[in-house]
Amino acid sequence: MDYGQSLLITLPEIILSIGGLVLLLVAAWSGAKATRAVSISAVALLVAAGVATLCYTGDAFGALYSGDQFSDFGHVLIYIAAAISLMIAPRFFQRAGLARAEYPILILYACVGMGMMVSATDFLTLYIGLELNSLAAYVLASFLRTDERSAEAGLKYFVLGALASGILLFGMSLVYGFTGSTSFVAVLGSLGGGMETGALFGIVFVLAGLAFKISAVPFHMWTPDVYEGAPTPVTAFFASAPKVAATALTVRVAVDAFGTQTLAWQQIIIFIALASIILGGVAAIGQTNLKRLLAYSSINNIGFLLIGLAAGTQEGISAVLVYLSIYVAMTLGSFACIMQLRGPDGEPREELSDIAGLSQTNKGLALAMAIFMFSLAGIPPLFGFWGKVVVFDAAIGAGLLPLAVIGIAASVIGAFYYIKIVKLMYFDESRTVLQTGDGKALAWIGAIMALLVSPLGYFSIPLLGGFANNAASALF
Amino acid sequence: MIQIIVFLPLLAAIVAGLANRSIGNVPAKVLTTGALFVSCALSWPIFLAFMSGNESAYVQPVMTWVRSGGFDFDWALRVDTLTAVMLVVITSVSALVHLYSWGYMDEDPDQPRFFAYLSLFTFAMLMLVTADNLVQMFFGWEGVGLASYLLIGFWFRKPSASAAAIKAFVVNRVGDLGFMLGIFGVFLVFGTVSIPEILVAAPDQAGSSIGFLGLRVDTMSLLCILLFIGAMGKSAQLGLHTWLPDAMEGPTPVSALIHAATMVTAGVFMVCRLSPLFETSQFALNFVTIVGATTAIFAATIGLVQTDIKRVIAYSTCSQLGYMFFAAGVGAYGAAMFHLFTHAFFKALLFLGAGSVIHAMHHEQDMRFYGGLRKQIPVTFWGMMAGTLAITGVGIVGLGGFAGFYSKDAIIEVAFAADAPYAGYAWFMGVSAALLTSFYSWRLMFLTFWGKPRWADSEHIQHAIHGHHNDVDHATHAHEEAAADNPPAQEDAGSAPHAHAADAEQLPDGTGGYHPHESPLSMLIPLIVLSVGAVFAGFVFHNFFVEPETAGAFWQGSLAFNEPLMHAMHEVPTWVKWSSTAAMLLGLLVAALMYLRETDAPRQVAENLSPLYKFLLNKWYFDELYTLIFVRPAFWFGRIFWKGGDKGVIDRFGPDGVANVVRSSSGLAVRFQSGYLYSYALVMLLGLVGLVTWVMVR
Amino acid sequence: MIGIEHYLVVSSILFVMGVLGIFLNRKNVIIILMAIELILLAVNINLVAFSSALQDLTGQIFAMFVLTVAAGEAAIGLAILVIYFRGRGTIAVDDVNRMKG
Repeated sequence: MDYGQSLLITLPEIILSIGGLVLLLVAAWSGAKATRAVSISAVALLVAAGVATLCYTGDAFGALYSGDQFSDFGHVLIYIAAAISLMIAPRFFQRAGLARAEYPILILYACVGMGMMVSATDFLTLYIGLELNSLAAYVLASFLRTDERSAEAGLKYFVLGALASGILLFGMSLVYGFTGSTSFVAVLGSLGGGMETGALFGIVFVLAGLAFKISAVPFHMWTPDVYEGAPTPVTAFFASAPKVAATALTVRVAVDAFGTQTLAWQQIIIFIALASIILGGVAAIGQTNLKRLLAYSSINNIGFLLIGLAAGTQEGISAVLVYLSIYVAMTLGSFACIMQLRGPDGEPREELSDIAGLSQTNKGLALAMAIFMFSLAGIPPLFGFWGKVVVFDAAIGAGLLPLAVIGIAASVIGAFYYIKIVKLMYFDESRTVLQTGDGKALAWIGAIMALLVSPLGYFSIPLLGGFANNAASALF
Repeated sequence: MIQIIVFLPLLAAIVAGLANRSIGNVPAKVLTTGALFVSCALSWPIFLAFMSGNESAYVQPVMTWVRSGGFDFDWALRVDTLTAVMLVVITSVSALVHLYSWGYMDEDPDQPRFFAYLSLFTFAMLMLVTADNLVQMFFGWEGVGLASYLLIGFWFRKPSASAAAIKAFVVNRVGDLGFMLGIFGVFLVFGTVSIPEILVAAPDQAGSSIGFLGLRVDTMSLLCILLFIGAMGKSAQLGLHTWLPDAMEGPTPVSALIHAATMVTAGVFMVCRLSPLFETSQFALNFVTIVGATTAIFAATIGLVQTDIKRVIAYSTCSQLGYMFFAAGVGAYGAAMFHLFTHAFFKALLFLGAGSVIHAMHHEQDMRFYGGLRKQIPVTFWGMMAGTLAITGVGIVGLGGFAGFYSKDAIIEVAFAADAPYAGYAWFMGVSAALLTSFYSWRLMFLTFWGKPRWADSEHIQHAIHGHHNDVDHATHAHEEAAADNPPAQEDAGSAPHAHAADAEQLPDGTGGYHPHESPLSMLIPLIVLSVGAVFAGFVFHNFFVEPETAGAFWQGSLAFNEPLMHAMHEVPTWVKWSSTAAMLLGLLVAALMYLRETDAPRQVAENLSPLYKFLLNKWYFDELYTLIFVRPAFWFGRIFWKGGDKGVIDRFGPDGVANVVRSSSGLAVRFQSGYLYSYALVMLLGLVGLVTWVMVR
Repeated sequence: MIGIEHYLVVSSILFVMGVLGIFLNRKNVIIILMAIELILLAVNINLVAFSSALQDLTGQIFAMFVLTVAAGEAAIGLAILVIYFRGRGTIAVDDVNRMKG
């Protein structure tokens, strides 16, 4: 085994870890002054790590870590989402009086963990990556130290996250015990020769732990509270990058480690998918807080993603990746829009009633928001529609016609609250004094994301589809 | 070329309709009228080429429409003699009506919309007549129905116009249902909707029977009658005629174009187009004959007593369509088409003339308030005169005459000559209807143009005199029908002035001080052009349409031309040839006697024959009958299905039910999210346990 | 003879106790932290027992990692608890429900 080669393959993680440590020292030395510089360096590190991930491919450290095309896809998407989360943050934290350098550094550490998650080919790597990400995330959630809701969000996230980790670990220990290995390849081979009840327990526990990370029903309970309580840039981050990492991880575990026991997990995934779509849609209707509403929306979207996984085919995995990419663009765009809503004193506004009549005060913002909402609802010709098409196409291709039918029917429920937001913006009278717009960064990101999910997005299908197919083929 | 003819009006309609007020009145009018004149100019060469025999039938494909297993057809434009005849009729009348509307609609605020509708109608009608398959014909069929609906309800602020539009639409729906079933049946039997293929295959199916609800019925009779029901709806034949008189609520140019010259003749056209199909079922032909002949006499009787100038002409149209149908029914499709052709000119002329009179009389439509207009609006008078001479069939046997003399008399003669079972009945009804036609046509002329002015009592004229000129919105002229609905107690025109002797004393000449003006040139030119058509169309074209030696070559098999029958038509006894002329003269004499000489006679007749008079005035009580047997039960059923079925079952368990479930489950989900850590953990654990149990038990 | 199943039973009991500790306890968040440690311990017993039964070192290495991560987790958990206490002045589990719905 070539040690140097392994180091090169894990270069993105190494860049981010060492870079993060250096920036932490810088931050410790120069305090809040260096926040801006640290943020910019962090984005630069993410770019460097992104380049590094594309440069080297192969297995590292004796199949503990894989730098295949699937992990490349995940890495790049995660880094883009993380970089955007960094760009939209500064003004928010300045206004809250907490423009600290720790925010970009924690994001970097979370990215290290997420990078390991998408590359993990061993349960040990998986666990370390997951915890690296989670520990950073707990802190991020409670980043607004003086805000009660932020602290409560951190606390809830922590307790439930730890419980989920425990369940996951217990599952992994069972899988290890009944298959004799923690390596995905070995587990796959061992399960191929039959499965004991203990291993089945293990599979269910592992999937339950992972379902927590992707916030799928019934392991979604933390999501609305954490999304609401966490600072909005952090929520945007939670809704994008970790979702990519956790979904990719789930896909890899399901296919690479449990791929020979598809029947054991397929029905679980189908159940979780439908439950997420329906509960995400139904519960969102009763929400009055925009961030909470988007939390349920993310639960809803995860359900659609899992339909692609339930198909279990290469086409299905490719569809999952396409959907993920579109979903990240839609979510980040929506948050970029929400962050532009401020009260008269500049305090963030995030209630549903605040956006009433937005079309009269800020046409561009309302239009962008409408595009995201219609796209999330999957209404053609917006690009969100395409994500649903490929996912359902894959499900039908795999013979899961009833799943596809129920999924499509249930997506109508989701359409209700997305369109309700549009109705509020365009047809209702404004009841609150609202400042809109908050710097160029937010406006640009909102506009670019809106452009990506607009019908123009269809031009990217050959490119995006090609990458997704390549990435999916690495798993099969 | 044919594509330009058909699609130019559509283009104009789209541009004028979508741009609407943003491009202003004049560009919209120039665009649509120009498009129609171009279409018209391109249509005549096609027709003349067919007349000279230089052209033969062809099909111009446009694009693929449906390819679905055996259900397979294209958008294609079929051009043959039959189409060519319709092309010139449609484009000529439409172009003239467009031009006429410049003057007639001059004060209307919505002119681009009006012209867009007119052009849209023309497009749909052209689509109908160029159809190569039944589905495309149905497209045009519905298209003209839509345009007719839009145009009848053009002054939609007027409740009666909206009601008339809805009535026209609904009644046509009944016919369309028949047509649709007919098309379905044709596809079932022949496996195709292509008209030429059907016509080729039809003779093989003659005499076969088809099972339906345990009954065995003759296939071709069933199909033909279903298709003919469609024709009855569109062509306002007895039973489905009730919409046509009400359709007069639309602007008069619309009545001229749609409800006289083109759309209502679509049924006749369809029967002629499918004539080989109808030839396979004597039963269906008998049905057509009886319906046509009965409509001819029925509508004519109602026309006798109407006082609204447009309604008289509307019933006249209905009656003339009856002629065309029984001509087709006895096998003389050429004669039917010939009458359609000439009728288009003289009936459009009559309508446009009536429009000109109405225009001059400040939107007064009641003939009882006309009189003595001959001198005031001479061009209109002479135009109307030409139309009346044409419709009554004035002419001398052996020498020649006006258009109706050739076409209508041909129909009457052919009905006598034919040996079809009900031809005798048709002939008798035809001659009787000719008498009535002559009477009501001359009655219209005498009441309008002769006698003394009786304008003073008209509310419209009062309006005009008292300076309400600027009240241009036609929709506000709701009192138009107030006059029509509440006719003066003493019936009929001659007596009306007597009821208001006081007014007459103040203004002894009965004009009320009002001076009608001749219409503008844009309205007179169409009148003149159509007058030429009304006078000469029969003389010029009868060789091509009905003469046994030449017509066969002209039709080129585009309809089932029965040459022996046409020969027989010429061999009828002389008294038959004179019979219709005699009927015409009799009608003229009676009308002259009653309305020129003894102006009190109409009232006496009405009093003496009061029950008959009321029966006719109430249009044979058709509307009342339909209200009783269709409308009320339909409302009753509707209420049951609405309250019990739709609201009680479908809404309750369907949309509303689902919405309620979603709403309440949303509340449940929200309450479930209690905010407590332990309940979140519990849910996770229950989920885990549930999943484990499920995999274990499975 | 004590076999692998005995270890499994013990670890399962510990795991269930840990889980129950999270949602039966309504008093104090600190107890939840202890319950989490209990769950991780159960996992460690599993891993070590399997490692010994399988004659494979991976399980024991895994256990070491779990211990390390558990330490980090506890540290972060306590830190969050501290800022929570600063803001609310209580760490009673019943009070942690400002956000719901």
